[in-house]
Amino acid sequence: MLEIRNVSKVYDDGTHALREVTFNVKDGEFLVIIGLSGSGKSTLLRCINRLIEPSSGQIIYHGQNVTAANPAELRRIRRQIGMVFQHFNLVKRSSVLNNVLSGRLGYVSTLPSLLGIWSTADKALAMANLELVGIAHKAQNRADELSGGQQQRVGIARALMQNPTLMLADEPVASLDPALSDSVMQYFEKLNQERGTTVLCSLHVLGLARRYATRIIALKAGELVYDGDPQGIDEQRFREIYGDEAVEHSLR
Amino acid sequence: MANRSPTLPALLSLVIPGLGQLSLGHRERGGLILLMMLLFIGLLLWLQLSPLYWLILLPFWAMNVFDAYVLASERRPDTTTLFLLGALPLYVMAWQATDINLQRLFSNVNKVQPLLSGLFQPLFLEQDREIAIASQQFYVPCPVTETPEVSTASAGGTIETSVTCGNVGETMTLRGEGFPANQQVALWWVNPVNANSRIRIQDAYEDFPVGADGSFEGEIVIPEAIPRQSDQPPDRHRIEVRYVASEGGWFITETAIRVLGHMGETIAQALMATLVGAILAAPFSFFGARNLMAGNPGLVLLYYFSRGVMNILRSVEPLIMAIVFVVWVGLGPFAGVLALVVHTIAALGKLYSESIESIDEGPIEAIRSTGANQFQIIAYGVLPQVLPPWIAFTVYRWDINVRMSTIIGFVGGGGIGFLLAQWIRLQDFRSAGAAIWAIAVVVILLDYLSAKVRERIM
Repeated sequence: MLEIRNVSKVYDDGTHALREVTFNVKDGEFLVIIGLSGSGKSTLLRCINRLIEPSSGQIIYHGQNVTAANPAELRRIRRQIGMVFQHFNLVKRSSVLNNVLSGRLGYVSTLPSLLGIWSTADKALAMANLELVGIAHKAQNRADELSGGQQQRVGIARALMQNPTLMLADEPVASLDPALSDSVMQYFEKLNQERGTTVLCSLHVLGLARRYATRIIALKAGELVYDGDPQGIDEQRFREIYGDEAVEHSLR
Repeated sequence: MANRSPTLPALLSLVIPGLGQLSLGHRERGGLILLMMLLFIGLLLWLQLSPLYWLILLPFWAMNVFDAYVLASERRPDTTTLFLLGALPLYVMAWQATDINLQRLFSNVNKVQPLLSGLFQPLFLEQDREIAIASQQFYVPCPVTETPEVSTASAGGTIETSVTCGNVGETMTLRGEGFPANQQVALWWVNPVNANSRIRIQDAYEDFPVGADGSFEGEIVIPEAIPRQSDQPPDRHRIEVRYVASEGGWFITETAIRVLGHMGETIAQALMATLVGAILAAPFSFFGARNLMAGNPGLVLLYYFSRGVMNILRSVEPLIMAIVFVVWVGLGPFAGVLALVVHTIAALGKLYSESIESIDEGPIEAIRSTGANQFQIIAYGVLPQVLPPWIAFTVYRWDINVRMSTIIGFVGGGGIGFLLAQWIRLQDFRSAGAAIWAIAVVVILLDYLSAKVRERIM
């Protein structure tokens, strides 16, 4: 469903964030991207929906060339791809419900949305998605009144408003208490198994990656250094990805 | 260098301040001392102050010699004292330049008395009074053939002078009878052109006491009157005795009503200026936000242009702008509004821009990723973040604008300040007092109100 072909990204300051990265994602996969911070995970995820413009290479999503899409086409592609962020990226002063509804913006016409007018169907969908992540009772609260774990669930509910076929998740549990990591990751697992949504998720804890991934790719300094089974990452591979000084704690 | 005698640098600094420090390699320190000394000497020469003022250079000069000595013996120098002593001449000259005269502050306290007493008796309420007047004509100079007109006060009382004519500076006796016993009456001199002034009796302008039998008597001096030519017939002056015949209820003065009306005008002025200023500042502020204007050289240029315009406009006092607009559109509140609008655009534009610059980029990224277009991103990602601070800034601006528009009135920009300036010029200090109190109350109330609103929003 998703083809990444020779994608490179060089930032204005000269940093090579991605170097000729190539891989394919099949429907229904739970693909986890691992690597050190700064290895290019966030850049890679953002290149897929062009929140960051790739410097070269091609990205094909369901047969559509994302990299060559015009603004209107790009918006139509983006609305099929949900995205969840490390820092949740909620509008803190807005209500939980408004944050969730904003996930639907790609599907509604501009004028009513600017006036804050939403159809009953959209409102019902928002409540259903909040129900799904277990915080429907907080719908009218301001987003910043919620705990970190709850805020990330709002982020997931917002992405679900897009009825996405692909879900991008950039370090979705990195700013959460480790004890809450599983509770959030389970929503992605459920989504993947029950709705068949393809999940592309970056993680830096290998333990979590092993537990949820059907396939792992690893980035090191912008290069793809591993693509395969979660079980395939042995001691030597681990050192290759994370460097010689790294010790894997979460394995045991 | 440590073995060298510290006396030489000290001597060098004695001859030319800073030279010792320079010779020791302390270039900035020595240069600064030399520059300061040259500046002070230049100022002293230019201001042509008395030779006594040259003494203020001595502590700095001495400290500079000591400093060179300390530096040469490689001990820790006392930089703070050195430059505090260096600042001393500057303060002495600033004292001189600002014409500070504490003696005048205390000796002239009586001059401000009418103003202060007006402030403490603001003319909001007044008692209804009926004033009775007894009068008699008086001729300056003698001789005179006419019989002076005499009029009796409505509530009784007649007056009589010992002579019916006289020259300026001569003394005569004024007698009165039939006045209410034990009351105070005021003596007035009305000259041929109907100008009123109080008559002085035994060096006092105070009201004159009536005895228990309803009569009074006192010596008065014929006051300086209008200039006249010697061949004219004598001028007709009039002596009046005025007293309160009856007191009625309290009523709201015309002053109070005018204060209220003009206060409303001032608040309306501030309201209009803030509204129009905010509406114009909002789109402008997007151009002044660095984070939105990045990437493209044209946008960056636009950013610097709008920031530059805002900075220049903000540095011009609204008072000065009001003078310009008074010339442009004429006296009145409209000129004041225009001056405030211009200043408000610049001030709010900068604050608005800064709140756009400080927004969290995360939500914008998140909303962009849902396939939202640019308008939807602004409506759902930018506005909810900037609107609360914008509202808070705007309310605060209104508060400032009310204060500013009172001042703008002084140069003809309408509102309460216009009235206050007039009353001060006419020396109507009780009315001026009423205006000042009204301004104080409104400003304090608005200050409190806007603080509450800001607290709620932020």
